[in-house]
Amino acid sequence: MKFRHLSIIAKKEFSGLLNERTILLAILLQLFIALFSSFLMVGLTSMYDPSSLSKYSRFRYNIAYCGNDSALKEYLEKSPDFHVYGMDLSPAVTALSERKLAAVIYVPDTAPDATDPVKITLYTLQNDLQSAIVNVKLKDIFLTYEKDLRTIRAARLTEQPVPLQLPANRSGGDFYEFVYGLLIPLLVFMPAIIASALIIDLITEEYQHETLETLISTPVTFAEMVWGKVLACELLVPVQAGAWLFLLIVNGIAIENVPLMLLQVTFTSFVPILLGALTALHYRERTAAQFIFSTALVVVILFTLALPANPLNLLTRLAVGTAGAEQWVVLAGVIAIGALLSVATQRYAEKVGREHQTG
Amino acid sequence: MGAVADITTIARWEVKRTVTQMSRATLPLAIVLFILLILVTGFAAQSGMHLQDGMYVAGVDDPAIAQLLASDNRFTVYQLNGEVLEQNRQAFDIVVIRGTVYGSGSERGKSALKTVERDYAKYTNRVYSRQDDLFAAYPLWIDPVNVKSELDFLSTQSGQYISARPAAAAPIPEGEVHTIPPPSPALAISREELRAELARSQAANSQISRYTEMLSSSDSATGRFKTPSQLSPPLPFDSIILIFVFIFPLYFTSQFFMMSIMNERIERKGEVLLSTPVSAGSIITGKALPYLLGMLAISAALTVYLRASPLIILPLVPVIFFFLANALIIGMVSRSFKELSFVSIFFSTVATSYLFFPSIFANVHVISLISPLTLIILTLQGTAYTAGDYLFSTSLFWITSAVLFYVGVVNFREERLFSEKRLVPRLREFIAESMSKKHPFLSVFLLNGFAIPFVFMVQLMCLVLFFNLPMPYSLILLMVFAALIEELVKSIGITTLFFQDSAFLSWKNLVLACAATAVGFLAGEKLLLLITLSQITESVFGSILFLSLGVLWLPLLLHFAGVFVVACSLKLGGKRWFAFGILAATVIHCLYNLYFILGWLQ
Repeated sequence: MKFRHLSIIAKKEFSGLLNERTILLAILLQLFIALFSSFLMVGLTSMYDPSSLSKYSRFRYNIAYCGNDSALKEYLEKSPDFHVYGMDLSPAVTALSERKLAAVIYVPDTAPDATDPVKITLYTLQNDLQSAIVNVKLKDIFLTYEKDLRTIRAARLTEQPVPLQLPANRSGGDFYEFVYGLLIPLLVFMPAIIASALIIDLITEEYQHETLETLISTPVTFAEMVWGKVLACELLVPVQAGAWLFLLIVNGIAIENVPLMLLQVTFTSFVPILLGALTALHYRERTAAQFIFSTALVVVILFTLALPANPLNLLTRLAVGTAGAEQWVVLAGVIAIGALLSVATQRYAEKVGREHQTG
Repeated sequence: MGAVADITTIARWEVKRTVTQMSRATLPLAIVLFILLILVTGFAAQSGMHLQDGMYVAGVDDPAIAQLLASDNRFTVYQLNGEVLEQNRQAFDIVVIRGTVYGSGSERGKSALKTVERDYAKYTNRVYSRQDDLFAAYPLWIDPVNVKSELDFLSTQSGQYISARPAAAAPIPEGEVHTIPPPSPALAISREELRAELARSQAANSQISRYTEMLSSSDSATGRFKTPSQLSPPLPFDSIILIFVFIFPLYFTSQFFMMSIMNERIERKGEVLLSTPVSAGSIITGKALPYLLGMLAISAALTVYLRASPLIILPLVPVIFFFLANALIIGMVSRSFKELSFVSIFFSTVATSYLFFPSIFANVHVISLISPLTLIILTLQGTAYTAGDYLFSTSLFWITSAVLFYVGVVNFREERLFSEKRLVPRLREFIAESMSKKHPFLSVFLLNGFAIPFVFMVQLMCLVLFFNLPMPYSLILLMVFAALIEELVKSIGITTLFFQDSAFLSWKNLVLACAATAVGFLAGEKLLLLITLSQITESVFGSILFLSLGVLWLPLLLHFAGVFVVACSLKLGGKRWFAFGILAATVIHCLYNLYFILGWLQ
């Protein structure tokens, strides 16, 4: 196998990609997803944890308190988030539907130490972002009140949980797990999946466009052609994954161990790419190859995720900086699997090449 | 009759070819893979997903708490004595000393604290729900009641607080006061039922609920009654996952259709088919029919399997047509397999986002209704939707699919299918082909009218994207993007005319074409607005996107001015000045919006 031949093939594929400008679409796609993920961050955070956005904190919401007095009313009145008005239920609910109030609370005549629970009715506006925010703010007050009631009724409990005191100020960190534990491993690994779909296209195209004979008649052997294409796809992985990480860092998401992550993803991507190459060599037709490959990929990824210390988990740990020496063990395992697949690909390609020479 | 016979013949060919092609080699392996998939799913369900293992490091001095934390894979727990922990606090994300938790203060530490908080809440809930006296453990129950407001979208742009300044006295309703009977103090569900429901909601699988927990404590299963900790806007997570179950097979099947169209073009294989007297419409319908029926069958089977209401299929139908129409165009436009892959991945990502993201807000905001999937979520939740809702969320899908099919049929000819030009010139040819040579102005008029649904789709997408940014930014970004998109789309007709025959664009024809563009755009806009979008159009966002329904000559003038600027720069400067023309037109458009809608320049 001559490296010069490999690089010729790889160059040919790259210029094909550049010529068609399809690679631009891939970049556009990355930008788009990055945009949407930041949308998700800002949007969801503001919706479910309104205090995280300062613009909501300066508002005091008007709410009506109906029914019997209770400790809850005091809590509400003390809260900086609410203006509480004692009202009758009917006018209060009507005022709510006219948006003069943000919520209406009705408290029944149930003693704090009664056998029955205290059932509070909470009226809010349907399909309304403001209701969602008011709900979150009310929740904290309800939780305090629930704790009080539970203390009053404590004698009736047979078992108490182990006490654990959490710090009072627990703001922030809401989407850390989402970003580092899902988004980053997914985004970094996506180029590997794209590259493995690409290798199928590159190989089946030679068959279906019947350009194979021309290629075989050059000094390049069939196996060299396959490896040249693998090389082209493989080179795309660290470039794309690096672009992802760069985008995330520009967006203000700190990522540790970027070089190690790229190293991991580059070697890991050999596995799907070689699987794709084998499928394409076997089927020689895109529809079938893509179908079988994507099903196989789902199986492989699902299985990998179910294993502890899998390469994707490693990406998470590297990104947050809690990966230890075990990363090298995982890397060695991935390289071993890649080597096995390489041997299989080489054998298969040689076999196909001989068929072409004789046939 | 002839057409029907043609269609059935072609449909039969299509099925036969796919079946023989697939069954020979792929079927055995597909079955093996399917069995493997079931096995692996079982394995994964048992062993759990290990994506986030070991994200946090915790130091604990109490074995009971160490055990509690270690049950969560995300923690690597070290049990050490209090003094050692005190000295090495920096090495840990959280430390627990004598029953008190300390976070490290970094983002990771904060996140670890949140995780501890949730784990601890789960643990206490487990203890409490074991209690015989359930109402001593859960003494407070909340019954949330939704009140419908007449002023929906209009007044709550991005969740702003609208009810003016807090007054000293209680607000007095203006309208008629409806008497509301005081709610009964008793829960309508028995204690044991509540206990069972609590246990069920706690058992909800932790792998998925890990993400939902930070948003809400899962879809409350306790009927309408909630404990305070369950009180959060419900994220319909189960339903959203179900949606993926529905959409994924549809996407897959449309890929087969895309490939079938592409295959006709490889090495001019489709020449035989084109040389028969069968019309292009029949060929496409015949080829699409098996896939359409297949997709409907899959959806129906899934619906039956999930025992969901058959109403779910109704919003899926336009989505199916939309996927097929796009598959047709992508299959006809791509030059190579890699292009096909990239374009289809790109399309599917954009389409999935358009469908998926609004539906997250299904229970929170009416904006969610721009996605048909929201209707599916509502149906799954047992909420009925009206015919108006259906029209609102699906009309864009119907119209765009129809337009795309038309473009596909018109261009299904030898010189288009087998040409090897680049993507953009090819798309331009496709558009040119759809326009009549004899009536160029009528064509420009119609083209702009039919472009409106696409414009709305893209603009709504922007609305969804920018909706959650802080108020002035969202408005500004939306304004610029909306103007840019409109100007780009309006320029399509004129640009196509220009590229086809630059001599045609004499000054007289140029003005006429611009007028046709402006009138067509305006007509399409108004028509679609009247049918569907009244909910969004009434808001400030809407007025920027779609212009008001009021005075007609002003927007007409604006549309004319915009496209005229682009056309002039094309005529005077040629291709290179196109971008400049678009920018200039966008600036004019934005200034117009600022002046007339927001009144900022007055």
